[in-house]
Amino acid sequence: MKPFDIVIVGGGGAGLYAAMEAMKTNPALNIAVLSKVYPNRSHTSAAQGGANAALGNKAKDDTVEMHIFDTIKGSDYLADQDAVDVLCSEAPKIIRELENMGTPWSRLEDNTIAQRPFGGAGRPRCCYCSDKTGHTILQTLYEQCLRKGVIFFNEYFALNLSVSGSCSNGLIAMNMKTGKVEAFPAKTVILATGGYAKMYWNRSSNAAGNTGDGQAIAYRAGIPMKDMEFVQFHPTGLRKSGLLVTEGARGEGGYLLNKDGERFMARYAPEKMELGPRDLVSRSLETEILQGRGFDSPAGKYLHLDLTHLGADLIKSRLPQIREMSMNFEGVDPIEEPIPVRPTAHYSMGGIDTDNQTRTIMDGVYAAGECGCVSVHGANRLGGNSLLDILVFGRIAGRTAAEEAGKFRPGTISEAELNEQLQEVRGGMQASGRYERYGELREELGQTLALNVGIFRESSLLQKGIEDIAELKERFKKVRIFDTSDVFNTNLMQVLELKNMLDLAETVAAGAFAREESRGSHTRIDFPVRDDAKWHKHTLTTLVNGKVTLGEKPVTMGRYELQERTY
Amino acid sequence: MKRYAYYLSCINESMTKEVDRSIELWQKDLGIELVKLHEGTCCGGSNLEYVSPKHFALVNGRNIALAEKMGLDLIVSCNTCLMTIRTAKKKLDESPELKREINELLKKEGLEYRGTSEVRHLLWVLVDDVGLDTIREKVKVPLKNYRIAPFYGCHILRPSTVLGHDNPLDPTSLDQLIEALGGETIPYTHKNRCCGFHTLLVAEQESLNVAAEALQEAIESKADFIVTPCPLCHTSLDGYQAKALKNAGVENSIPVFHISEMIGLALGYSAKQLGIKRHIVC
Amino acid sequence: MTLPTDQHTEGKKNVTFRVFRFNPQVDSKPYFDDYTIPVERGITVLRSLNYIKEHIDGSVSFRAFCQAGICGSCSMRVNGLSQLACTTQVWDVLAKSREPGIIKVEPLRNLPLIKDLIVDMDPLVGKMVHYSNWIDSTMPEAQMGKKEFLISEEEFLRYDKATDCILCASCVSECSILRANKEYVSPAVLLKSYRMSVDSRDSMHEQRMAELVKDHGVWDCTHCYRCQESCVKSIPIMDAIHGLREDAIESRGKNDTSGSKHAEAFMTDIEKKGKLIEATLPIRTNGVVWTLQNLLPMAMKMIMKRRTPLPPPLVKSVKGIKIFRTMFREMTEHVKQDQKSHKK
Repeated sequence: MKPFDIVIVGGGGAGLYAAMEAMKTNPALNIAVLSKVYPNRSHTSAAQGGANAALGNKAKDDTVEMHIFDTIKGSDYLADQDAVDVLCSEAPKIIRELENMGTPWSRLEDNTIAQRPFGGAGRPRCCYCSDKTGHTILQTLYEQCLRKGVIFFNEYFALNLSVSGSCSNGLIAMNMKTGKVEAFPAKTVILATGGYAKMYWNRSSNAAGNTGDGQAIAYRAGIPMKDMEFVQFHPTGLRKSGLLVTEGARGEGGYLLNKDGERFMARYAPEKMELGPRDLVSRSLETEILQGRGFDSPAGKYLHLDLTHLGADLIKSRLPQIREMSMNFEGVDPIEEPIPVRPTAHYSMGGIDTDNQTRTIMDGVYAAGECGCVSVHGANRLGGNSLLDILVFGRIAGRTAAEEAGKFRPGTISEAELNEQLQEVRGGMQASGRYERYGELREELGQTLALNVGIFRESSLLQKGIEDIAELKERFKKVRIFDTSDVFNTNLMQVLELKNMLDLAETVAAGAFAREESRGSHTRIDFPVRDDAKWHKHTLTTLVNGKVTLGEKPVTMGRYELQERTY
Repeated sequence: MKRYAYYLSCINESMTKEVDRSIELWQKDLGIELVKLHEGTCCGGSNLEYVSPKHFALVNGRNIALAEKMGLDLIVSCNTCLMTIRTAKKKLDESPELKREINELLKKEGLEYRGTSEVRHLLWVLVDDVGLDTIREKVKVPLKNYRIAPFYGCHILRPSTVLGHDNPLDPTSLDQLIEALGGETIPYTHKNRCCGFHTLLVAEQESLNVAAEALQEAIESKADFIVTPCPLCHTSLDGYQAKALKNAGVENSIPVFHISEMIGLALGYSAKQLGIKRHIVC
Repeated sequence: MTLPTDQHTEGKKNVTFRVFRFNPQVDSKPYFDDYTIPVERGITVLRSLNYIKEHIDGSVSFRAFCQAGICGSCSMRVNGLSQLACTTQVWDVLAKSREPGIIKVEPLRNLPLIKDLIVDMDPLVGKMVHYSNWIDSTMPEAQMGKKEFLISEEEFLRYDKATDCILCASCVSECSILRANKEYVSPAVLLKSYRMSVDSRDSMHEQRMAELVKDHGVWDCTHCYRCQESCVKSIPIMDAIHGLREDAIESRGKNDTSGSKHAEAFMTDIEKKGKLIEATLPIRTNGVVWTLQNLLPMAMKMIMKRRTPLPPPLVKSVKGIKIFRTMFREMTEHVKQDQKSHKK
């Protein structure tokens, strides 16, 4: 294959924005987007709530500076302040840019882009399109990429980077339609494969494919991961499936109630109530459940998200997807009954360590969106900042790679290397004797993570988690692939995804074990307070000689001094 | 004797005259009287709606108003006329503004659209008002030994937001009628599919392919005939049958009846009386 | 009415999933495999398939991603109807199964089969490209990001529902015309075309429309409404198709294509006689040559059977045509007024 200037792995918001921006920056470049699903299927489509930008349409006194402060405070001061500057200053421009390209934003009475309140934000600055914001943004970007003639390799599963020394030669990926392992020699590679929260499996709101493929690829190539222990639990996952009920439901005025009918958030965030930041609200729900104020059901304990007082009209017009999901997956119509909810692993703040231009430590390799960690979310992400992150840093990644592609030579990827990869991935097909089922391993991984590396963490629990993961990795060596065909082998794909999750789970648990403090989404029962003296720093986890190795990186400070975080 | 206003579909006045002729023969036998609405105009046949939505509302608001003036429900024996007039009714009922605008014009003729008359298909009247038990009682020549493929057509089923009588993807009323007449319905996956009529003049090949598929399944299932509640489906499946099947390389044929003819046969009228000889395939 | 939550977990039924199988590497033709599993209330078809794949047969192949009805990956035919496996409740399907206890699962129609329940979506993407299913903004790229277009709620509502489309291709699978000709534009692509064409930010309305009125385009739709009825997001797809036709006539005139001529004939005839003049409809739609070539043999048969429509002079006007015409023409004036104020 002809070498590419840029290969983008992932067709969600970050990947597509990167592709568009790269083409805009230098139309002469040879750019490809490779995705394991058709780009319009990407998980960006599941982001319902919206994207923050201080447009000042709804609250005239909103400013970029307020957005910056809210984000830094929300991050529990672990975000890099220069990166947050970039995120928030670019926000109004990028939202308008999307609008200019055709994103169907909901509108205010004065015909400007509509904005609504969101958790942890001082002003209503979350721009939305009813409750399908991510979906419409993804559609817009995909449409624009088709318009610009971006080359797509759809349903290709990225396997590994090909690396020579400190340089990447490009990417090795499997064409799902043929089962062939193919080389994508490239000057630059942008990893934009989304998050890794699906490792919590049934206790996760994520798509089945949010298995941290890009992070795992980078990790195996020796690129450090950053802040992996920070996994955000969304307060309101549906009880049975873990699927998400957007914060928009609370933004529109929904109540959280315990079994005594009490709006318990009054205890934890008396001012913001249900619109407190996610980590705090999640912990509040978990505490209510642990202290016996939850409802019981065969599927586990839960609480109520009550929308009934909002009325049928509002629910139908503003929250139609939420209503549909409650009915499809819980059998509950929120117009008539409260929705059964409990916290669900939702977002990974951690990811591939990058600088503000999305560069990793490896020449020619960039990472953006949930896959990367700049970091703008620190220890806890604010609602409405994830769509913004993928847009802003997706665009920066595209521009940076386009500008820097000339600096690198495309390496060659040998047939031997491809063959080696092919043998490796198909190894499970030869398993004989006692074998392991990938479904069971995946289930157990999710369970141990939710239990031991979940919302409330503690030394002995984490130790148990680390041991469990090690044992699962051992058992994975005997995993059996039952489908031996080349064409669209989804069995093989799921096993490869499990491998990625197992590799990354280790870094999450290791980071969580090491960090002896509570900050943002990371709550240690044994170290209940934030310890800035010892832990105001990023965690790095790197694969060295097959072992996860811990490191650290300072947090970039700026205008805002460390403060206690209260709402 | 229950009375209804009866809408005269253009096609039943020209190409499928046997439909109205058959109904006239047996209506009293089943205790119903269909009063012909000679002032009614063409409904626009699922085309007028996008040529001019307002004329569409006027024309069909008027058709319904004529029935309302008589204090009767409006009965239709063509699927597309049914769907079209009901669509207009839904639009008028949902928009007081549109209703006001057309009523302003209808005044000239002393008419007013109020939304009081229902617009219903003949098949629905038979199943719901006359009742299957009555029909069973009145049958003189049961259609036993006949294997019948029920072809509902689209516009008696869909859009379900406008029609709403049968499950749009799994209808039963025609099957029930066939069984009441003593016939045997065959499992027929094309029962709720399209006959191709509406693209006959615009995309002929596609239309013929669509018709051929429906005909082929009925032939392969060894049905004795196809029955449809719609004269347009009838025209496509009967009138264009030879061409459609030739296209598909099938050397065979199958008769197609309108429900009004099938009922006529079961009630003891002759094929000649019912005008069945006028079919292309018979 | 919703059931009390406890009842959702009560009881189990043995359900047989009859799954369409085809692996192009080894199979010369498709076949079905039966898998019988216990299923409790509240379980979706997708979760059942996942169970089968994890516990019984790892080679059963299907797409699934979000599992929440948003990404559109897992569309397939369940008991013959195209829908999302992830939002389809097993017990609901079972209640309507023709063969008790059996649920048939097949791939979508009208798209090339890859393996088992997986079909190739590339042709659909190709059509989206062919019909420019994007906004080509009136704002130059260099100006973007500086200020918003001001869009009214009224305009937003015109395409709001259409933007719900998740490209699951259920409508593609159910389309009558696609069954007959794979070149046909497809309902989903018409829907997206409509969504773009009513967006005031778009600059390529005319080019897109020029493509849509060609063969295999918007006029080929047979209005069977199957697309709309099977839409997993309940989008009124036919309204969009009608909208495009209305637009085509308004922007390109009534004599543009056979489709528009055909539609316009209804308008003319109703005004003239109150009735459709069927005898000349083919000629007015496609011209004399086409009519002679295509319909002459048929016409002969029709004449033999005395099925031919009356020649125009003999078509009697409906009763009270004069007063009807006055009303009709007055409405024409209303429409002209509307268009004037709309343009303003």
